[in-house]
Amino acid sequence: MRVSRFPWTPALLAAGAGLLAASQWLVFAYAPVEEVMGPIQKIFYIHLPLAWWGLVSFFVVFVCSIACLAKKDPAYDRTARAAAEIGVLFTTLCLATGMIWGRRAWGVWWTWDPRLSTALVMWFVYVAYLILESLGTSPERRRLVRSTVGIVAFLDVPLVFLSARMWRSIHPAVFASESGGLEPEMKLAAIFCTLAMGVFWLGLLLFRKTQLDQALHIDRLLFRLEERGEKQ
Amino acid sequence: MIALMHVAKTFGARLILRDCTAEFNEGTVSLLTGENGAGKSTLLRIIAGLSQPSSGHISFAPEDPSIGFLGHQTFLYPALTALENLAFWQKAHGLPADESTLLGMLEHVNLARHAHERAGVFSRGMAQRLSLARVLLQRPDVLLLDEPGTGLDQASQAMLEEEILKARKRGATIVCVSHNLERARALADCVWRIRDRRLELEEAGS
Amino acid sequence: MMRLALAMALKDVRLTLFRSAGLVQALLLGLLLVFMFSLSQKAGERVSAQTAATIFWLASSFCQVLVFNAVYAYEETAGQRLGLLLAPAPTAAVWLGKAMAGFVLVFLSQLVFLPATAVFLAQEPSHCLAEGLAMLVLADTGLAALGSLLGALAQGQAARESLLSLLVFPLLVPLLLSAISVFAAVFGDAAPDGVASWLGFAGAFDAIFLGAGLLLFRFIYTGEE
Repeated sequence: MRVSRFPWTPALLAAGAGLLAASQWLVFAYAPVEEVMGPIQKIFYIHLPLAWWGLVSFFVVFVCSIACLAKKDPAYDRTARAAAEIGVLFTTLCLATGMIWGRRAWGVWWTWDPRLSTALVMWFVYVAYLILESLGTSPERRRLVRSTVGIVAFLDVPLVFLSARMWRSIHPAVFASESGGLEPEMKLAAIFCTLAMGVFWLGLLLFRKTQLDQALHIDRLLFRLEERGEKQ
Repeated sequence: MIALMHVAKTFGARLILRDCTAEFNEGTVSLLTGENGAGKSTLLRIIAGLSQPSSGHISFAPEDPSIGFLGHQTFLYPALTALENLAFWQKAHGLPADESTLLGMLEHVNLARHAHERAGVFSRGMAQRLSLARVLLQRPDVLLLDEPGTGLDQASQAMLEEEILKARKRGATIVCVSHNLERARALADCVWRIRDRRLELEEAGS
Repeated sequence: MMRLALAMALKDVRLTLFRSAGLVQALLLGLLLVFMFSLSQKAGERVSAQTAATIFWLASSFCQVLVFNAVYAYEETAGQRLGLLLAPAPTAAVWLGKAMAGFVLVFLSQLVFLPATAVFLAQEPSHCLAEGLAMLVLADTGLAALGSLLGALAQGQAARESLLSLLVFPLLVPLLLSAISVFAAVFGDAAPDGVASWLGFAGAFDAIFLGAGLLLFRFIYTGEE
């Protein structure tokens, strides 16, 4: 089998880390302190990229799951798994930062906001997706099951978002939404942070995919050794 | 005819079968042998289309044959009666399920007296006979047998062999996995053996 | 396809209702849930319509998980799944048959849960009855479509009920939200113009997951162990 070794994975990870570090300068020195919320608003610059790339991860799971079923190539499944792991990690961090933000902005840790609830529901579904790995079945079957769940889970995302919004529009809105135009400096910092996180995200995804490829490769080598041992 | 072309099967990192190429002809009985865990049942499942080969392919001529499968798993619902079991499987295959046909078949496999008893109380041999009835009703083009004689007494064994020969006569393709080599060899037109995860023709048809 | 689906549905309903204690377990669990929640009422206090609707639909979804686990377990006792896969009908027929059986069984359970909610949680299901009935049918269809698709996970001894509920519950959130909203209205909450749009939403949910079940089931229900 081919073990895909992406030669630029370390470079991507290093570049992502460097860009993220650089983005801190933009966040703390360049972008102004928000008037109402004060310094706590800086959380936004880490929260937004996490949310965005978390969602992109789940979209990658969706696309790779379809590809895995259509093309019957297990490599897509490994990409999907890598993306799901990163998606869950990012969504967890996104929820944590979001709750700190919410506590400060709205005075509560949690509220029935469409975005919040969508993130939480997705977190639950994709954690379950990762637990599928522990199903005591053959890898072939696990792959089919995982791909199916990967597709169904993403179909649910717009439905969750829509229903949470309808739910809220029927009930009185307790908390004003956090919108309002961003100042240009803030916008620039936010965009830069998102792009920096994107580079890091891609590096992470390729790194994890390579690891999964190599794990399978090692398993095969071990099996061949075992086989040779049996013959002698 | 069933043709296997370079069929291989892996479970994750484990290679179960490699480069299996074979032909099974209409109106013949092919015996499939090999040590325990050699991959006989896996190969039979692949032929049945229950398991996808990791590489290579299988072709049938004529295409889309009806496949009958008789293994140590009986496919019977323990909470349904013998008659209900047969009726369900007939309907599942889109075949007529009128009671007189089904009762006739139960008579044939010596279970007429037990038609209204639940399959769950049947002995191993009775369940296997009911399972045989299920397959016979289908009159399949391809008959796949995985240790079909398990739990059958002498008389039922003889009946099973007779049915296999009847199926061969009407032109069915029969592939049989069996340990009971003496009996099975007497029936078989050719014998295939799985050795070192490969399929070898041990005895060609006479 | 319809022939296998119908034969399957009839067989499963018969097995569950008359030949096993399968539904009793699901019914008892749902009833227990309703009863236990009645403990949250203080003396002389009534549970709000919204809470009662939530409890009713939670009981229904627990029941759904148990029902689909049971109907798929029937095919695992003696390799019946392999027999079904060998049948000439498309695999999706199994999904459809199980979904129909599950729909009937969940619906029958709700005929018990509804009076239980009225009695234990002091509700009067007396408003917007037509809309309520429509929602019952739509939501049960969604429960059946998704339950039948993911119930196939119970294939083999490997899967556990807990895993099924872990996957099914979050995916059901949108459908349950819509069902709860409409049933809150049925139990007497003031219903603004929301009911109609919730019905439409549930219809969309059904359409998406009926499509998904029809297309994806054959990948999840296979002869691979």
